[in-house]
Amino acid sequence: MAYCPKCGVEVEKGITKCPLCEFPIPDIEEKTTTKDSKYPQAINTYKEDHLGKKNKAFFSISIIAISMMIILGIIYLVYPWNHLLIKYIAVAGISIFALIFFSMGYLKFWYNFIGIYLTILVGLFCVYILTGIEYNWFFDYGIPIITLIALDICIFILIFKYNRHRSQFIYLPTNLILVIIVFTAGLDGIISINVLGYVKLSWSLIVMVSGIGIIALLQGIYHRIPEKSRQALKKKMHF
Amino acid sequence: MEEKHQKHKFYALDNAGIMYTAIASSRMSTVYRMSVGLSEPVDPKILQQALEKIISRFPYFQVTLKRGLFWYYYQHTEVIPQVEEEKYYPCKIMKQRQGKTFPFRVLYYQSLIHIEFNHSICDGSGGLIFFQTLLIAYYKDFKGIEVKSIGSAMDITTEVDPSEFEDSFKVYYKEGVPPPPAGKKVFHFPFELLEKGEYLLLSGILPVEPVLNYAKEYHCTLTQFVLALYFESIQEYIKESSMSEKKKRRQRIAINVPVNLRKMFPSKTLRNFFISLNPEIDLALGYFTREEIIQQIKGYMGLYLNHKNINRYISRNVRNEQLIFLRIIPLWVKKIFMPIIYKHYGEKSYTSGLSNLGRIQVPEELTSYIKSFEVFPPPSAESRLKLVMVTYNGQLSMSFGKTSGETIIEKIFFRKIRQLGIPVKIETNKR
Repeated sequence: MAYCPKCGVEVEKGITKCPLCEFPIPDIEEKTTTKDSKYPQAINTYKEDHLGKKNKAFFSISIIAISMMIILGIIYLVYPWNHLLIKYIAVAGISIFALIFFSMGYLKFWYNFIGIYLTILVGLFCVYILTGIEYNWFFDYGIPIITLIALDICIFILIFKYNRHRSQFIYLPTNLILVIIVFTAGLDGIISINVLGYVKLSWSLIVMVSGIGIIALLQGIYHRIPEKSRQALKKKMHF
Repeated sequence: MEEKHQKHKFYALDNAGIMYTAIASSRMSTVYRMSVGLSEPVDPKILQQALEKIISRFPYFQVTLKRGLFWYYYQHTEVIPQVEEEKYYPCKIMKQRQGKTFPFRVLYYQSLIHIEFNHSICDGSGGLIFFQTLLIAYYKDFKGIEVKSIGSAMDITTEVDPSEFEDSFKVYYKEGVPPPPAGKKVFHFPFELLEKGEYLLLSGILPVEPVLNYAKEYHCTLTQFVLALYFESIQEYIKESSMSEKKKRRQRIAINVPVNLRKMFPSKTLRNFFISLNPEIDLALGYFTREEIIQQIKGYMGLYLNHKNINRYISRNVRNEQLIFLRIIPLWVKKIFMPIIYKHYGEKSYTSGLSNLGRIQVPEELTSYIKSFEVFPPPSAESRLKLVMVTYNGQLSMSFGKTSGETIIEKIFFRKIRQLGIPVKIETNKR
């Protein structure tokens, strides 16, 4: 019989560490194989089961997408319909299909993320070409704004990963406000560069100041204001 | 005619079953396990033979889940369930909604037989009757043992009694009884979850006699005493955690204790017939000593565990089910909202669960062959650790089921038992 010296409980034969405190248990008896254990080496079928369901769904979507493309192709070739509109529909259809593929999580998370980012960029570029390359909007606004949104989402994911176990009533709004601040500042910057030729933040500053105020208030409530500041506030605000 | 009728027979889900089918997911499979350890390796062929012999006596278990427009329901099937060798994680989800599996599975591994039941078909008491009947049939074929008294098992030569599959909640439902007070938000274990589909079991096996003596010393029941130790362990965990003292004082600990209603409301049903009480301690009042916790539990049970009060729970559950505007919502909409509602209202109000299935007796002739008995709770993502206890042959097995890899609570809990001078043996499926 083997015992854990720290917990004082008897453990199964052949076990190398205590199941409760992980304290190493000296191997005084002959090593037992898993054959003697009460439980087999368990298999987790979740991924397999889940993949089956996902594949079915993706297969159906693929069939719909391919049929749509064939129909569009035939219409394009046979009917003298609005060709530009068909091209728009085709671009939208392919982009949506790619977006669905990436959101189904077949690849690693960040590959999917980059995939979605690139799909939107390429889709937008196609629209830019189809509209006849006017005003240079794709390079002036399209790429910067999409990159800004992608970076903003990255920041949110990373911060949320770090503090997801904390109070969600405090941290979720804090993170969201932070994302809005970064987005508005970036947008303001992009617009000002294109209009004025240099970065000048204006309206986004209002968002930033009020946002930071709300974050400070929320965090203050959660962490309590430091004693020194509390005393100072008490002095100033007493009536 | 009778046979044809049987073929198309359908069973509406009972009150608890409705909820369990709607909330089932790969993490919250709503499947619980009963295990027996035998004196020699299981013979799968004989086990299959025994299962085939008894299954026709339990037509309400020989069913598959079907989708109605408004609710799921169970429909009788002519397919015979097959025993399987255990190779997956315990309490694995049953793909019931696809309508292909039975609401239970019979597994074997070396000298162990496990039955895993979906909670939507029956509770522990119902499952136990089925398991005991299977064991008697197995040993009849395996060793030729004819038992004299079958005890609480089912006599497979008798006719099926409709009261065995009645929804006893509806039988005892009284209109106009006000609902019980709503539960408050309580402390939840902040442990990291395991991968989906994984489930860990950890059981402590100890002699029941010394624990009973301690319970007597504290003038309480065995369940109340173990419950007090469990409360104490969680309290100790909070006390030693890195939370600020102010935050620690804001925590409430509540433990969900299912109550078998068959003892209070006569019923022969094998399906669900239980309600859950939530005794709690509020750390805002300070830290509790063991005596104080026991007083708290005894007071709570005294106040709530009586006919009048239990009626409030039954009436609330049945009334919710019978609300016409809920009933007319199509099933697919219910399927989306019920897990969310359950997460917020169901599991919000308890930290963990403790269920005592009591003393299990098997016919005298089988006691030398059946070595151990264990029951494991269904996995849950919100209440990451749950405990089921059962006594068999002078041994108390306390089995934790968990969707997290942490063992801190069990460590504190079993060390407390060791400090009482009671020997404990720990077994786990964690590798």
